[in-house]
Formats: sequence, structure tokens, C-alpha cells
Amino acid sequence: MHNLLLFFTRYSHWLLFIVLETVSGVLLFQYNSYQGSVWFSSANYVVGRVYQADASIRSFFSLKRVNEELTLRNFYLEREVDELRTKYADLTHDTTTQERTGIEYLKRFKLVPAKVVSNTLNRPNNLMTIDKGADDGVKPDMGVACGNGVVGVVYQVSSHYSVVIPVLNVASSHISCAIRGRGYFGYLIWDGRDPGYAYVNDIPRHAKFKRGEWVETSGYSSIFPHGVLAGQIEKVYNSPDGLSYRLKVKLSTDFGNLRDVYVISETGTDERKQLLESANDLQEQKSR
Amino acid sequence: MMINTLWRLLWFVVLCLTQVLVCNQIHLFGYATPLLYVYFVISFARNYPKWAILLWSFALGLCVDLFTNTPGLSAASLTLIGALQPYLLELFVPRDSVETLPASAAMLGKSKFAILASILVTIFCLVYFALEAFTFFNWQNWLLCAGGSTLLTLLLILSLETVRKS
Repeated sequence: MHNLLLFFTRYSHWLLFIVLETVSGVLLFQYNSYQGSVWFSSANYVVGRVYQADASIRSFFSLKRVNEELTLRNFYLEREVDELRTKYADLTHDTTTQERTGIEYLKRFKLVPAKVVSNTLNRPNNLMTIDKGADDGVKPDMGVACGNGVVGVVYQVSSHYSVVIPVLNVASSHISCAIRGRGYFGYLIWDGRDPGYAYVNDIPRHAKFKRGEWVETSGYSSIFPHGVLAGQIEKVYNSPDGLSYRLKVKLSTDFGNLRDVYVISETGTDERKQLLESANDLQEQKSR
Repeated sequence: MMINTLWRLLWFVVLCLTQVLVCNQIHLFGYATPLLYVYFVISFARNYPKWAILLWSFALGLCVDLFTNTPGLSAASLTLIGALQPYLLELFVPRDSVETLPASAAMLGKSKFAILASILVTIFCLVYFALEAFTFFNWQNWLLCAGGSTLLTLLLILSLETVRKS
């Protein structure tokens, strides 16, 4: 007994070393699963505050560029709306429907504006922190977008901050995308290399499209509504199994210069999710 | 003792903030990121209680991790360095030196300190990027990241040490 005690006092630091390494190991591997604790992330209150202070200083110096970009995008969108409106009026001789349906469509979404307080680009599994949390109505699995296009999906939420998995994450929750005006859809994934480009897999071989066409969210998943911009088709490859196309897409969102984003909560997605879940349950029961 | 601990705490906060707000934004050639906070562990004095070194390094690692959303990554690698530091330092101290000799270039001599720092930083970077690469293995990338970061970190530590000496 005495010897055992002597042994422990002598090598206590090695025991401590093993304990600390085990704790780190558990943290390291547990965080990869969805149940990781918010406390150990940048959504933690103190960390969030430090990042917020840092981001407010940085954003001050990049405001001009962001402004220019948004003005340009606003201009394009305005032209587009204008053109569509005239075309629609030409066809239907009704100049007010577009406004009515437009407002109806927007009513379905609640947008929570947020600021990015920390962001990385160089890791294979990038994460981003925004300054809105559960108190502002943000919940996990909500979509996040910015003026230029999709950003990502909310992953963890604390009361004032949230961690977002952006498109630039190898393990990202593959966002369902479609080619604008064509309807063929696939999943947006990132390969961990260039933060300016992502890929859309599973576009069928018989699909017809051209390079330079736009890719947008399909609205099939309950996360993003239809028509949020993702990027522009730059190259077309064959998938490894030769059964589908793989598109290289130039992302419309500039992740290196991201400050203002908004979290999209669609009223009615809960209903859709429930329906999907009950359908899955039914299928499971049948297969048994 | 109390004053010493307070100074160490301040040094802890300064290094942690420098790391997450400045150093983590640097990606030279897309590979090299200075991991300056290892400096905190390298500079522990001789005969500083080993358990305290371990706790300090674990705490600093965890703090940096909270900011980068990688809980456990720096904590694991920095605790390892905390465990190795006292044994390595013992190899470099001159025979007839004081019991509580601080590990600095002024006390050990420039070349000895540089060797000590480079061994610890190399081990740290290798372990850090190996753990990070667990989910995404690519050994060339791993070597480039570890090598680049080691060089950059050493450069920073040695220049800081020179400034402190003068």
C-alpha cells in the first residue's frame, strides 16, 4: 500500500498527463458528431464577444468594398425584375400580379440579419460564427445566405451566437441545388481546396445546359427556399462512375469578405419536415 | 510567487489573443500558420512543478481551441509539449546553474535555446497537424503545413527572444 502511494506521488504528473490527454481526445472526437457541446465552440459567450469586437474593427475597413459589391448586385437584380415585369405584362396584360405574388412569396420567410464575427477559409472543415442565437429565433438546420448567395447551414446555437457550417466545409450538409431555368438538380459539395469554387454532383447525363449558366438552390430541402444563388457553371466533368455530370461552380459568395448575412427561417418547413419523417417511418415499417 | 503567477496569467491572455486574432489570420503560401502560443510552454523555468506546467498548457490549448472551433486539438498537442518540456530543458541547462533557471536565450545561450525551441516546436507542429488531418488525410499537405508552420513559429519565437534580451 505504502509503495503504491509512493508510486502515485512520484508519477502523479504522468497520471495528470494521461488524464488531460484523454479529456482532449474525447473532446476532439466527440465534437465531430452532431451532439458536440456549444460551450466548447466559438458560440460560447466570451469567445463570441472577443470575436465580435475584432470583427467590428475589421468590417470598418472593408465596408467600402462590400457596399460596392451590393450596389452592383442590386443594380443587376433591379434590371432583371424590370425586364421580367415587362415581359409578364406583355403576355398577360396584367401589371399588378407580379407584385401581389411577390409579396405573398416573401411572406413565407422570416429573415434574421446577422453579422459574421469569425470565419476561416484555409481548413478542410471551415466553420463560421455569427452574432445571432436562439434568443433571436435562430435554430439549428436553418439556412444562411448573404446578398450574393448561399452561405451555409446553422450547426450549433447558443443564446446569442451560432456556429454555421458554410459551403466551404468538406463535411458540409450537402445543399440541394438546381440549374436555373432547367430544373436538373444535384448536391453542392466542396473539395477542400480553392475557396472560390465548389462542385455540383449527380446532374443526370441527359440534362442540357451551357457553361456560364447559374446554379441556385432547388428548394427541395427544407433548409433553403427556391432560387437562392449558389454560383455560375465554369466547367463540366464526368462523374467517376460515368453515370452523371459533375459541375465545377464558381461560387457567387465571396467567403473571404463576408460580413452581413441573414438566417432564413421558412414558416411551414416544420410541417414539411414532419411529413417527410412520417413518410420515412411508414416506409421503414413496411420494409420490416 | 503571487506576482509571478499574475504575470504568467497576463502573458497567457496576451499570447492567446495574439494567436487567435493575429496569427490565425496568417496563412503564408496557404500552408504556414505561426503557432506562437507554444512559446508560453517553452519558457517555463527549471524545476517549475510538472503538474502545473501540464495544467497551464492544457488550459492555453483549450482556450485557443474554443476560438478555432477545434476543441481538443491544440489542448492535446500542447499538453504533450508541456509533458516533454521539463525533461528536454534538463538536457540543456549548464551543470552549475541555479535551481529555478528560466528557459530563455539570455540564460541558456542563444544556440542552446534555439535548439530547445526548435525541437519542441517541431514536435508540436507535427502532432498538431497530424491530429488536424485525422479527418482529411493527405500526407504531403501535412508535411508542408507542419514544416512551414514550424519555420514561421521558430522565426517569431527567436525574434521575440532577441527583443526580450535587449
